[in-house]
Amino acid sequence: MGGILIQCQDIWKSYGKREVLRGLNLQLESGKIVGLLGPNGSGKTTLIKVLNGLLRVERGTVLIDGEEPGPYTKSIISYLPDKPYFAGWMKVSDLFDLFEDFYKDFERGKAEEMCRTLQIDTGLRMKTLSKGTKEKVQLILVMSRKAKLYLLDEPIAGVDPAARDFILSTILSNYNPDGTVLISTHLISDVERVLDEVAFLQNGQVVRQELVDDIREKEGKSVDELFRDVFRTVPFGGGVW
Amino acid sequence: MLGKLMKYDMKSMFRTFVPVWLLAPVISLMLGLSVRSMIAWEKNSGSALEFSGYGIGLITIVMALLFTGVMIGLTVMTILFVIQRFWNGLLKEEGYLMFTLPVKPWELITSKGLTATIITCISVVVGIFSCLLLTVAFTDEFFLELMSFWSYIKKDIGEIGAVFWLQAVLFVLLMIAGMVKSIYHVYAAMSLGQLFEGHRVVGSCVSYLGISMAFSVIMVVLSIIMNLVIPEGWLYDYYNYVNGSAVTFSVVYMLFLLLITAVQIIVFHIITERILSTRLNLE
Repeated sequence: MGGILIQCQDIWKSYGKREVLRGLNLQLESGKIVGLLGPNGSGKTTLIKVLNGLLRVERGTVLIDGEEPGPYTKSIISYLPDKPYFAGWMKVSDLFDLFEDFYKDFERGKAEEMCRTLQIDTGLRMKTLSKGTKEKVQLILVMSRKAKLYLLDEPIAGVDPAARDFILSTILSNYNPDGTVLISTHLISDVERVLDEVAFLQNGQVVRQELVDDIREKEGKSVDELFRDVFRTVPFGGGVW
Repeated sequence: MLGKLMKYDMKSMFRTFVPVWLLAPVISLMLGLSVRSMIAWEKNSGSALEFSGYGIGLITIVMALLFTGVMIGLTVMTILFVIQRFWNGLLKEEGYLMFTLPVKPWELITSKGLTATIITCISVVVGIFSCLLLTVAFTDEFFLELMSFWSYIKKDIGEIGAVFWLQAVLFVLLMIAGMVKSIYHVYAAMSLGQLFEGHRVVGSCVSYLGISMAFSVIMVVLSIIMNLVIPEGWLYDYYNYVNGSAVTFSVVYMLFLLLITAVQIIVFHIITERILSTRLNLE
């Protein structure tokens, strides 16, 4: 395994009076696929935005490859947000130009090859593409970089099981093996098979961080089962049908 | 990196503006020529009103409507695009792409600001050129009068020489600086407005007015302080110091205005940069 890639120490972030990250600590090494798991509202998206420099923490230290979020860390992070971020007037090829201009690690040939495989016309404007095709283009852009860190925010949320398989196989067959992939999701059973390590988030803190193999060995459970145990809540009325 | 950012900002704006920039002078020329034809018809055949229901008269009315439409369109489009490219490009979904590029926030803001300034300048030039073209096309007298006016003032320019050109350059610079200041004022207001969760547009409008009021108050306070600090009659003394030359005086005055505008631009830029660096609140 490589050295420390992500180091978060006692980080705090709030939106108004609502504290979202509350003294979060996290340390991740290079060369792993890590699941950032937690229920809705646990702080997954906020943490990812902090790591890629879209948000600034109020307290604590965030270091990516030894540096605070800034132009350098952005140059080594490949980020997949949970929504499309394109300008409608841009063609797919314009986006390739943009990525080629700003990211030295962008492999245009790979992106064009992926488009050919998926029969996506690079001459089309983004506003003319369907929602699913836009998501595919976004995934192609992100996975065509040889990044040190991939931050994937809910990449399989809101898509059908077949599309989930496509997304996960695209990630697995295209990521830089020397880099780290951080996948935030609450659909654990779908991603479990690809994860090396998991970090459970609850109320803005990492409550458990462990290797997937260790969980299976020590607990005799799958990550999905452990997740359900950790985040189990008693249904209203005691769960009596 | 600033150059690369500008390349994309220019591309996004030019594709919309180029057709209007090309259309405006063409419509002006056609309107001017149809008015000229109508005047010629009136001279030869009597009232233009009699003719208005037919041929050239109808074309002239259509051209006049088109010309008005294009001119209003050019003005509205320029204002809306300056606002829209900042709002959509940095504060909405596109912000996820722009703020994760390996550049600093000041580069993103400067790129938007420079592009908006260039677009506005070209729109102003196109607007002035179209109006001139319209006038030149429908009457020869305008061009002749312009020439005689130029030869009339040329004599005076000769007397004051370089100072005239300095004044002209300062005037253009003041116009451009005023334009940049207005653009950055809007940017600062939108940056503050995005902090109002759920009321971003209203927040931006309120911020715009708030900033205007704050600057008015600051200017009043500064002028009071200057009145207290600077001795009475200094303006008269200075006027005498420059040997009663209104020209030299106006140059100094314009330089002073330029300085004030530059300070405002810097303040607006710093407000925008600080907010987007530390309090970015993407939708």
